[in-house]
Amino acid sequence: MNKVKKMLYSQKVAPYVFVLPFVISLLVFWLYPLISGIVMSFQDISFGGSQWVGLKHYQKLASDKFFKTAVFNSVEYMLLTLLLLIPIPMMLAVLMESRLTKAKGVWKVIMYIPALTSVVISGMLFRLMFSEGDNGQMNQLMHLLGNASIPWLKAKTTGWIALLLLCMWRWTGVNMLYFISGLKSIDTSLYESADIDGANAKQKFWYVTLPLLKPTTIYVITISVYAGLSMFLESFMLWNGNSSPKNIGLTIVGYLYKRGIEKNDMGYACAVGMVLLVIALAINVVQLVATGTFKKEEK
Amino acid sequence: MAKTAAQPKTMESNHKVASVLSTGLFAILCVLIAFPLLAGFFASFQEGREVVMKGMSLNLDFSKMHLDNYKYLFSGNEDSRKYFMWYKNSLILTLITVVLTLLVCYFIAYGLTMYKFKLQGFLFFLVIATMCVPFEILMLPLYNEVTSLGIINTRAGVILPGLCGASTIFFFKQYMQSLPKELLDAGRIDGCTEYGISVKIMMPITKPAFASMAILCAMGSWNNMLWPMLVFRDTNKFTLQIGLNTLLTPYGNNYNLLIAGSMFGILPILIIYLIFQRYLIDGMTSGAVKG
Amino acid sequence: MKRRKLFALFMTAAMAVSSMGMAVNVFAEEDTTEEAAESEEPAEGEPTAVTTVGPDDGTKYEMWSFVDLHNEFYGKMVEKWNEENPDKQIQITFSTYPYSDMHNKLMMSLQAGSGAPDLCDIEIGQFPNYSGDDSPLYSMNDALAPYEDTMVQSRLDVYSKADGTRLGVPFHVGATVMYWNADLLESYGLDYKSVKTWDDYTKLGEELKEASNGEVYLTSVDTGGVDWMWLAMAENGEDWTGGPDGTVNVQLDSVKEMLTMQQNWLNDGIAMVSTDGHVDLEAGFSNIMDGKIASFPKAMWYMSRFKDYMPEMEGKYDITTCPVFEEGQKCSVGIGGTGTVVTNQCENPELAAEWLAWAKCSEEGENLIWNELGFDVCNTALWSDEAFAYDESNTYNTFFRVKPYEVLNELAENDAIGTIYTTKNSPTLNDYMCTTTLNNVLEDGMDVEEALQDAQDYLDFECE
Repeated sequence: MNKVKKMLYSQKVAPYVFVLPFVISLLVFWLYPLISGIVMSFQDISFGGSQWVGLKHYQKLASDKFFKTAVFNSVEYMLLTLLLLIPIPMMLAVLMESRLTKAKGVWKVIMYIPALTSVVISGMLFRLMFSEGDNGQMNQLMHLLGNASIPWLKAKTTGWIALLLLCMWRWTGVNMLYFISGLKSIDTSLYESADIDGANAKQKFWYVTLPLLKPTTIYVITISVYAGLSMFLESFMLWNGNSSPKNIGLTIVGYLYKRGIEKNDMGYACAVGMVLLVIALAINVVQLVATGTFKKEEK
Repeated sequence: MAKTAAQPKTMESNHKVASVLSTGLFAILCVLIAFPLLAGFFASFQEGREVVMKGMSLNLDFSKMHLDNYKYLFSGNEDSRKYFMWYKNSLILTLITVVLTLLVCYFIAYGLTMYKFKLQGFLFFLVIATMCVPFEILMLPLYNEVTSLGIINTRAGVILPGLCGASTIFFFKQYMQSLPKELLDAGRIDGCTEYGISVKIMMPITKPAFASMAILCAMGSWNNMLWPMLVFRDTNKFTLQIGLNTLLTPYGNNYNLLIAGSMFGILPILIIYLIFQRYLIDGMTSGAVKG
Repeated sequence: MKRRKLFALFMTAAMAVSSMGMAVNVFAEEDTTEEAAESEEPAEGEPTAVTTVGPDDGTKYEMWSFVDLHNEFYGKMVEKWNEENPDKQIQITFSTYPYSDMHNKLMMSLQAGSGAPDLCDIEIGQFPNYSGDDSPLYSMNDALAPYEDTMVQSRLDVYSKADGTRLGVPFHVGATVMYWNADLLESYGLDYKSVKTWDDYTKLGEELKEASNGEVYLTSVDTGGVDWMWLAMAENGEDWTGGPDGTVNVQLDSVKEMLTMQQNWLNDGIAMVSTDGHVDLEAGFSNIMDGKIASFPKAMWYMSRFKDYMPEMEGKYDITTCPVFEEGQKCSVGIGGTGTVVTNQCENPELAAEWLAWAKCSEEGENLIWNELGFDVCNTALWSDEAFAYDESNTYNTFFRVKPYEVLNELAENDAIGTIYTTKNSPTLNDYMCTTTLNNVLEDGMDVEEALQDAQDYLDFECE
């Protein structure tokens, strides 16, 4: 008994005890469904059971133009959100944490509130704001500027302005919070010694803040890549469903949802999912290797 | 900077201008950010049908505003009772989810960060891998699995599959990497067990990470809809988000209740945020290294 | 230091709550069934939002819908049934889910083989997912037999398997009719009653444009719905799905004609594109209320939208049959609907089916359907029944300038209600039309032939 206890408490075994819940959860709630998903992507699923169809779904994917639209939209969305939702929140966080800004508490509270709102309400609010009728706020704004009403959500450019604004509205505050949290972990003595060395604000940002924010930045980029590629809800909310004019709002997960749930073609949907999986995994691995996250462990 | 007495006066005034600019920037930003919600807030005092048909107008007519929607919400009639039942369900579900997820993820991240062991790199790779699999692929197999485990229609069925949230583990891990590992040895010398160290020494200084994750996790749980929708089968187990969505039907949407109810539904999560952001802002300044 | 204590306190409290929560809330719930629910609720005095109707010793069923009003209706029908059938008491527990979630859940639970309800509403667009050869639904043939003769056959057909096995019970015919803002048209001295063909309709539009200085459009054309196309096909006796086992063909004369005509209307300023895609949305109601459009074709069930969203229009609107391309054609088509089914996971399907057929097809049921839901019922035996159809206490009989069943009977006399099938290809077809083709043609002015060729290419690829 004592031996077991001693072993459990030893430094060698402890880490395994710590990660045990993860391993169990991984096997039960991730690996098993994932393997089922992979298997299903080679099958036709129906109520009676399933039938092996080999590579049929993947072959069809290769010439499916909606799938191409979906992939293109998702990748484009991911890149645009990376451009918008990394530098801007980082700058805002630095500004926020500097001594320049007054009444920080108020701003932080307000900037975060959008992320707290439910999917139902924020979708409805933006849909009403960007309504193509004459009464939506954006069209009233257009009227003030002397322009005619615009059917915002019916064209790609204007529709995506709405989509990206919605995305920024919801997530700028969250990402800023991540960066602020990262800034907090930077030892203030580093800034003090930089001051002594006569560094100006810009230099301090480039040589102290930015490098030390790296772990946070990697984290934010990683989740943004995935969130961008698997975006679905924002588009679903804005266009009040999964069908947007000329599929300007169709994303990979949207297509997967459409196939698997709306059209009951789970096998094909799983194949769509596998492509998403491969893309996301590839981008993330490249990104993590490039930024050296793995190196520490390997040494 | 301001503390150094030798600063020339121009710097002082430059500093002031910059301060006004920076504060002004946030003020403008916040007005823009608050705008949609304010519009929704004002809309909740108007006839719901009117709002949806005429759009949220820029010209507010305060004489037409009234408290009827909120009176209805608190009237104690059938709709109101339903609403508060969903509300209670969401609160309980969110509370359990947040507490369990934070604890479980903290210990996992602790194990992954504070020790060197064989599978470390591989396990970390798996954490990332789980982040890259869209939930929708796993949904059908997972639903089958939850059904056969007998936890369909229970809170366990909603909570367990998402308990080891990869992004939460990842964040904890990233955060802990910047913590001094010497503390572990100090703890060992003091006679703490490995588990004691993780709770008594490391957990308190991980506070800011707990705070940010509490907010995010509560938010995710409060607003989550897809999975709880699949797991819960009785209307009296529904969460607020599912409930609100049932108000939108092809035969008459209850906008009065929907808009007022949604606005009121932001409250709990807002309160959690307001409580935890203090810890967050205190941040590392009260950390163990200095104390 | 103080803060750290506070935090430790919080964490302890949190852990205590969590362990309590786990014990009380999570695991207590694992024995889910009725006992748990029943013992919990009276004790805490909780409201029961799941409506359970009927005595505890009755046969127990679970039923899902995506419309609360439907469940209220079924609840009333359970009570009536139990009054009339003391020997066959039933108890049904109703749950209302959001539209798409209910269908997702139903699909998942049927595929998983457990967890599905005993009875369920299925929207017509989703129905083909459940009516294939391996359908997981219970056959309604026996239960529907007493009502077969008087029910509108095409409405039963749409909820059947290819071999004719009845699977679902309909609510309504959904006959498409023309809604006119009579008040508005009369104020310009225009006569809409003599409109018989689309040429007449177009002419009326030109007159209206002139009379109103282009402020009022005759109608709005849909980019987010295929009602106009269905009407055109029904009139010409075509069907782009090709019927239950047919192949998809969208390059039909009726579709081309309708789209070309609509494109001309838009170019001539006679019609506008429906705000947000179709008229059954808040923006559409707003256009109707503001008198921006003077008419539109829509199914009979749209009447309830007038009652719920546009009560100010009372007495102003008239209903007639729709214009046709050539006189003598059919002039209506059944659109929309909900098929109610018994699933193969039901333990006492016979009784469930019997009750369901009775609830939705018998006179008692149809009475409630017409008076409370405002639907054009499928039991034709009742259409000419004075007491049933023309009772002044029914809102719809006084709301419009005509009693709705007069129009319906006119359609019935001429056998003028056509059928467009909803097949397994329909979701793909409708989706492509609503996202792509209609937008291309009506918003961007793309050539009709070209747009339809595009659609056909895609559908050939998709529907194999």
